[in-house]
Amino acid sequence: MTQILTLGVNGTWRTLQVRGDEALLDTLRNRLYLTGTKRGCDEGECGACTVIVDGAPVHSCIFPALAAEGVEVRTVEGLADREGKLNSLQQAFVDQAAVQCGFCTPGFLMTLTVLLENKSSPSDGEVDEAIAGNICRCTGYSAIRAAVRAVVQEAKT
Amino acid sequence: MTAVGLSDPRSDAYAKVRGLATYGVDYREAGMLHARLLRSPVAAGRIRRLDVTKARSSPGVHAVVAAAEAPRHRNGLVLLDTPFFAGDMVLYEGEPIAMVVADTPRQANSAIRTIGLDIEEMEPVSNVVEALSPGARLLHPDLESYRVIPGIGSWPKEGNCGGMLISDPGGVDEAFEMADIIVEDLYTVPRQYQAYLEPKSATASYDGWRWTLHVSHQFPYKARSRVAQALGVPDSRIRVVGHHIGGGFGARLDLGLEQYAALGASHTGRTVRLLNDRVEDLISCMSRENATVRVRSGVTKQGRIVAREFECLMDAGAYAGDTPYLTSIALLMAGSVYRVGPTRVTAKSVYTNTAPSGAFRGVSGTYLCFALERHTDRLAQAIGMDRRDFRLRNLFESGDSMLNGQTLDDADILREAFDVVEEIAPWNKAGRGLLKGKGLAAVIWLTNPLAGSATLSIQEDGSLGVSTAATENGSGAVTMGLRQIAAAEFGLGANQVVVTSPDTDTQPFDAGSQGSRTTHVVGMAVRAAARQIRPRLFNVASGLLGALPDDLELGGGKVWVRNDLSRSVSLAEVALKALGLGGPLSATGTYNVPLPKWDPDSAQGLMFPVFPVPTYHVHLAEVEVDPDDGSVRVTRYVVAQEVGRVINPDGVYGQIQGGVTQGMGYALWEGLESQKGRYTRRTLESYGLPLAADVPDVEIIVLEHPCEAGPYGAKGVAEPPIVPVAAAIANAVSDATGANITRLPIDPEELLVAIGKRQEG
Repeated sequence: MTQILTLGVNGTWRTLQVRGDEALLDTLRNRLYLTGTKRGCDEGECGACTVIVDGAPVHSCIFPALAAEGVEVRTVEGLADREGKLNSLQQAFVDQAAVQCGFCTPGFLMTLTVLLENKSSPSDGEVDEAIAGNICRCTGYSAIRAAVRAVVQEAKT
Repeated sequence: MTAVGLSDPRSDAYAKVRGLATYGVDYREAGMLHARLLRSPVAAGRIRRLDVTKARSSPGVHAVVAAAEAPRHRNGLVLLDTPFFAGDMVLYEGEPIAMVVADTPRQANSAIRTIGLDIEEMEPVSNVVEALSPGARLLHPDLESYRVIPGIGSWPKEGNCGGMLISDPGGVDEAFEMADIIVEDLYTVPRQYQAYLEPKSATASYDGWRWTLHVSHQFPYKARSRVAQALGVPDSRIRVVGHHIGGGFGARLDLGLEQYAALGASHTGRTVRLLNDRVEDLISCMSRENATVRVRSGVTKQGRIVAREFECLMDAGAYAGDTPYLTSIALLMAGSVYRVGPTRVTAKSVYTNTAPSGAFRGVSGTYLCFALERHTDRLAQAIGMDRRDFRLRNLFESGDSMLNGQTLDDADILREAFDVVEEIAPWNKAGRGLLKGKGLAAVIWLTNPLAGSATLSIQEDGSLGVSTAATENGSGAVTMGLRQIAAAEFGLGANQVVVTSPDTDTQPFDAGSQGSRTTHVVGMAVRAAARQIRPRLFNVASGLLGALPDDLELGGGKVWVRNDLSRSVSLAEVALKALGLGGPLSATGTYNVPLPKWDPDSAQGLMFPVFPVPTYHVHLAEVEVDPDDGSVRVTRYVVAQEVGRVINPDGVYGQIQGGVTQGMGYALWEGLESQKGRYTRRTLESYGLPLAADVPDVEIIVLEHPCEAGPYGAKGVAEPPIVPVAAAIANAVSDATGANITRLPIDPEELLVAIGKRQEG
């Protein structure tokens, strides 16, 4: 059974047919070809599939697509500007070597985007708490914390 | 200016932060089909009936294949013991029995559920003790008849033991008689799952003669030869194309799903993708083997270790995988770092009815170091000596030899590493007290020597291309290391170097990302290629500039006449001109590490005989234990690591921080335990990976002793930071609580008991 879903994706309203039980992650990856959002576990544990729905980070692998009806969804593909210039958080991930294999990176970027929208100068502890739902197996998190510190520092200067 | 030593960003970071990097799971082709495996629901049994009739006629199904439709011969990494599909017997939970190929993943899932499978379940041989007991059921009654891969010789094996290393140099019992005190310990560790975030997948197509596989694999040439071996065709009929790798840590060095996708493609004539869900990925993954280690040493009152016995039982699971090799690591570690006197070593790879185990960063080294360094603490305590002083008293010096007879010319670096750790974190100051403790651990580790290659081209736009089947597993070894080494050879910035992804049809052999080899081995191949190109480059430029080649300088994308900057040409001009003067400025370099000398009589079954290009490591952990719940917090972690030469500081630091974090997980939370052949923790959530709040910023001291035969002196870096971590943390936790830690992960309940005893005392 398919149903009609209308949702905003990175600033564009899209109307498409989805299955009633479809996860938002499948809609994004398989219908909209936005494959930047990753499937790591399918159980809402690893955070690689994190996107922003109506201003809040969600694990899109366990978030029903139909629950995004009428709201704005942001994915990693929407972070850079139209010319492909990275935003300050993306640039800090590059500069601080917070990316290794990079499979978790889109999820971290989306979680931290929400954190930084709600708190201009989070402490390391607040960063750790915010990313408690995101697993990185490569970096040991230190460079990810450093990237957030760099964004905060840049905003101050 | 040289690109070597700079913190240049990795070349794939931009694509990765934009979500535009294509990983194995992201690769698709129009019209591709989707496959799913039927995996054994039980750990051991005999297949009485397999009925795929309904599945064959299920909606959207193109093919159902099982043992009857698959190659009949066995395959394997070293010992050919593995069937394509389980046919008669199933030997582990999760073993592939059949595969459905359908138009959609949902159709494949539905069809799988219609397969009639009747298994006569058997009591599994669930651990190494059972497996080695007299009268134990043999998992491989035909073991003696199994073939081995060419060129590897033979090794002892019998019963449920698929590989064995035995070293008995003589004089061990006599040496024990010199001891004042003898200490014996038994250590037990569970499996550790690599938990790469990108689940395994493979996408295959078939043109009637050759198969093409799109994968994220650490070792495309091994994927090629193993798929060929499994299908029973020559390697050259397989092409493997590599995409971005979402973490591997050793789990993508052997076959995962590639052979099944390939079989699906040739059965349907269509492109077939096969993808693990997370639970099947976890239960079927070749995780780091569980093991028990018994170590017994004699020590004098003066603090000298005089004799040792060392015995290691490794759980290979249902098929041997790489474990026959790994038994050698026991010999390479049991008498390294510290002088231990005559030592007897036995290591066995043992079959059980569990998923085959395999390579995980640091392989067996993590638990061998845990056992050895816990035992070192125990020896010091047995004679009432400070644990650090005891280590320094027995520490290797340059010229000392390991148990394989390999002499270490630069082992004095160990002493330097202990000293630099002492400078920033003095052993006898602070960090101790109520439920606080400190632990030390040291290790010697190798740089994997296997052959590699790289093709360099000065392109017609003046940029430098590096084409190699070496893989970027996330470490930065290709996207930082090789780029920067190549750039330095031509006086370019790393941003003028483009590296391509692997394709076995276009690049010569490379042994992939394993054992920290890429920067060192492929870096040397890059240099070899550069050194072929440079004379031609100068010759062509010489003609363009009307000057002798010897009078030319190269840098910043230009060639100029020494002392006359006005006479210069760009690399682009030189590259274009070269096309008509002998062809493109391109060359392929190759390299493998010459092996150090060893004593082939030091052991039987020594298949992995040496530690080439050794590096030296000292780790210090400081911990606090919570008296309410027994949880452990690592409050400070210090690493001193010898790297030869830093090519990119961010790369080195990233590998150390990341490796230590995986080691913390191993020490404190992670572990696949099985009961009756069935893993008890089956999801990422229950598995217990470290999260950000668990991990301190590691304090890192990099030691540089450039290696003559290394690119700009670089040795391997990435693998060893995980190796001593569980040892250092366990020693610190024992110091904090008085608990004699002999098992991983460290059990908070055991700590609470120890804390209680201490308070009563």
